Amino acid sequence: MAELDPLIHAPARLQVVTTLSAVSEAEFATLRAVLEVSDSVLSKHISALADAGYVRSRKGVQAGRRTTWVGLTSTGRKALREHVAALRRLIDVVD
Amino acid sequence: MLSIMESDQAQQDPLDPRFVLAEADQARQRLAAGLRLPAGLHPALAAAVAVQVGAAAYGIAAQTTAGLAVALAGVAVLMGGAAVLLHRFRRINGVRIDGLSSQIVLGTGGTSTLVYMGGFGAATWAAFESRWWLVAVAAVAAGVGYAIGTLRWWHAYRNDPAAHAGGVSPRLLAAGAVLACLGFVALLIAG
Repeated sequence: MAELDPLIHAPARLQVVTTLSAVSEAEFATLRAVLEVSDSVLSKHISALADAGYVRSRKGVQAGRRTTWVGLTSTGRKALREHVAALRRLIDVVD
Repeated sequence: MLSIMESDQAQQDPLDPRFVLAEADQARQRLAAGLRLPAGLHPALAAAVAVQVGAAAYGIAAQTTAGLAVALAGVAVLMGGAAVLLHRFRRINGVRIDGLSSQIVLGTGGTSTLVYMGGFGAATWAAFESRWWLVAVAAVAAGVGYAIGTLRWWHAYRNDPAAHAGGVSPRLLAAGAVLACLGFVALLIAG
């Protein structure tokens, strides 16, 4: 049975991976605007998630400017599925 | 059962799992709801598919080098049109969705596949019978049906983004396009 994943248990980090699950890749600026966080906060989350292999990032060019694209890896998608399942079980127990 | 006030308090507690999940889901929905399709995507896609189906039907029925060139030009129109539409989508929204790419390039949805295959078959038969007006009708029907399939996929994606975001990667799509061209060549040579 899957358990809570400490790496994505923090609400802000769960929002990052959940939002990324809606796309294959998102531009860093798009993600920052949706999550309404600062560059530095999002960078820290992305770095921690990338170190764990949950997300991948690459440099690219968008409308003539350099950007960073971020996407969930299959490991990250699996971790999200299992964490959400664990949270739902927790809710069921409480209810 | 919780009273309404207690329930509201639980929902506002930032550590409550329900609240945490709801906030994360809202962030995902905010992203999906903010995405916009490029203007004119559906008419452009319908036209590109109609051109491709009509050209392929003509090429298969003609069984000539010129026919092969026309069929391949049709594939190029569809692939080029799809590439432009997907590039515009990515530029407008700052996201890439492989599910949308698969839908536009390969017509992976049930509606798109069925209508495309039906239109392609009818157009090819009509081309062998030299009923060119019917080729045009079948090609346009295939294009419109394909575009409607994409619209249906888009609505399904907006309702459940995570379930529909996945699809074929850009590299595999490019390989698929090359295979489609080779398939047409093989079909014409075998015919």
